[in-house]
Amino acid sequence: MDRRVTSNQKAWAFTAILRKDLRLELRTGESTITLVFLSLLVLTVLTFALDAPAGDPAIAAGALWVAMIFAGTIGATRALIAEWQNGCVRALLLSPADRAAIYCSKLVASFVFMALAEIAAMVLLVLFFNLDFGIRLVRIAPVLAMGALGFAALATLLATIQVQIRVGDLLLPLLAIPVFVPALIAGVKATNAALAGLPFSGFTQWLKILGACDILFLAGGYLLFEQVISGD
Amino acid sequence: MKALPLEARQVGKTFGLSPVLRAVSLKVDQGECAVIVGRNGSGKSTLVRILAGLSSVSAGEALLFGQPARKLQPYDRRRVGLITHQSFLYSRLTARENLEFYAELYGLDHRASRVTELLERIGLASAADERVSSFSRGMEQRLTLARATIAAPDVLLMDEPFTALDADGVEAAMGLIGGALDRGCAIVITAHEHFQFAQLTFSSYALVRGRLSPAPADSKAEAAVQHSAAAG
Amino acid sequence: MSAKPAQWLGLVTLGMMTAAIFMVFVYVPTEAQQGIVQRIFYFHVPCAWVAFAAFALVALSGTFYLWFGQQVWDDLGYAAAEVGMLFCTLVLITGSIWAKPIWGAWWTWDSRLTTTLVLWLLYAGYLMLRVMAAEIPQVGRLAAVVGIVAAADVPVIIVSVRLWRTIHPAVLVTRQGGHGLEDPRMIATLLVSIVAFTALWLWLLMLRFATLRTKTRIDNLHRELLLVEAELADRSIQARLSPST
Repeated sequence: MDRRVTSNQKAWAFTAILRKDLRLELRTGESTITLVFLSLLVLTVLTFALDAPAGDPAIAAGALWVAMIFAGTIGATRALIAEWQNGCVRALLLSPADRAAIYCSKLVASFVFMALAEIAAMVLLVLFFNLDFGIRLVRIAPVLAMGALGFAALATLLATIQVQIRVGDLLLPLLAIPVFVPALIAGVKATNAALAGLPFSGFTQWLKILGACDILFLAGGYLLFEQVISGD
Repeated sequence: MKALPLEARQVGKTFGLSPVLRAVSLKVDQGECAVIVGRNGSGKSTLVRILAGLSSVSAGEALLFGQPARKLQPYDRRRVGLITHQSFLYSRLTARENLEFYAELYGLDHRASRVTELLERIGLASAADERVSSFSRGMEQRLTLARATIAAPDVLLMDEPFTALDADGVEAAMGLIGGALDRGCAIVITAHEHFQFAQLTFSSYALVRGRLSPAPADSKAEAAVQHSAAAG
Repeated sequence: MSAKPAQWLGLVTLGMMTAAIFMVFVYVPTEAQQGIVQRIFYFHVPCAWVAFAAFALVALSGTFYLWFGQQVWDDLGYAAAEVGMLFCTLVLITGSIWAKPIWGAWWTWDSRLTTTLVLWLLYAGYLMLRVMAAEIPQVGRLAAVVGIVAAADVPVIIVSVRLWRTIHPAVLVTRQGGHGLEDPRMIATLLVSIVAFTALWLWLLMLRFATLRTKTRIDNLHRELLLVEAELADRSIQARLSPST
């Protein structure tokens, strides 16, 4: 009987869980479709609700980030909730899997969902707001990616808390959004600057804040995940 | 002196304010099997969870391989198998995919062949590529048994493993258990009624309102259990 | 815990608050530009200091709770959050009262007030978690994690909101050494007020903490009681089973 005990422990668990999650998602595609539609809905609602002149770029950046937050909230919850059915989370805790590996795999799954929703949102944005495919859009991509990474890191940690509470539906947004405020501020400012045509050097201060948030949320999640998932 | 694979020393557990387990002591050595009989609500599932290290103790110690069960190293966690009321199976994956996932999670190699062989042994070869959601309860239970034993654990904790199994299923389960005992596994089984197995030697215990006491494997144990049931 | 420290602190608080109120309403001169309304500043600023300090305490207690596992840290964190929330609310209210006559609006999205609003939301999230998860045994650990992440976030919030906008009048001592308070009496009043509010905070914290500790003790006794009852029930059943003994 083979009993390799190596430092590859974390890598196995990470790839095993991630592969399983992606396989589950590929099989049904539920989450992806839902989140893509969500992006469409958010953009539509914001266009009407903010009553901005058609194609006003000022609301474009905001719309992207609102869509990201909604998609992130739902995505993180979905990435986790499958584990609480049939008690699978206990099997994960029982296994040799490192808790941090579990966290990272869920984080990546959330990030993938968010990325898909964001790509859909950007495509819709180009259509609705008549933006050019050009360097401006290329500059937005890393900004959105940093935002999605930070939110995925944060939401995965907080969703793990929410999923253990019976009536905790609203807890994830309630906790995540205030904590995410600095990244939201920086992200929207950076996105606006990029859409206005500024090069990266034009908005480095916002990128730095976004980066600081990412580091904070990733470190917090990585270090504290074990505390929230261990149960009683 | 080598540490016992499984030991509970005066384990107490309170949920909220009520005592669910009181001063439970148990020792199981390699190749030994302990059967714990108790009615619903006697604390069996809680005890099994504590022994597996999934729940913390309020008093006393639960030890696996001489270490506190709650703080087991990944290497030792690999040597523990658990069966509870929850199946720990992913409904949307097939039987084969479930087992391959756990095989990968536990760092086993030759996964495909190992899984195929195990499915045959447990009598699910024909349903190997069906989704678990289409399984009957009995088939699910067999798959759960396979899942718990796939990494050839040294400690096997089983909470009411024979419910929903038909005669064939019970025979297959007994085969797995017998094989595990021969291999030197330490096994704890809980049940809510007494059973007789000609081919197994086991020590019998009764768990009555949180207290564990040795019970001879005969009608007296049942009487004590039923009496306390009547007394509430 | 004896009531003595709380009583002493209560008296100190009473004394300091009396002194502060006197200084704010009688002693300190009216500020030239803003008029009488500016006096609320001497309540607004100390409350803000307390609101932030209390949140740091929530995170610190949470850290100790995760590290040591003793219930006392969890109780302290919860008490600190409840009392801190009170002061945070006061910051927002006094800020509003101050803003209306000066800038004509109940709310100005300036950097300090906005940061305090976000802090208020963090408090609210923490307390909502406490309430919603009250039945779960690991609620203390979950709350501690939230407190730590939120508190670590506060510096980033401050920086980002400040970059985002600021129209708050410069009435605090800046690193350059200049400040908006011309009269030394104003500085003195502010300092006294800060000390008074800190004393008030600590006193309220002590009271709330004592209440939570008492509850913990009662729960522990209740658990022991139920344990003893279970033992007695065992014995009576055993007596019935073997009446010859």
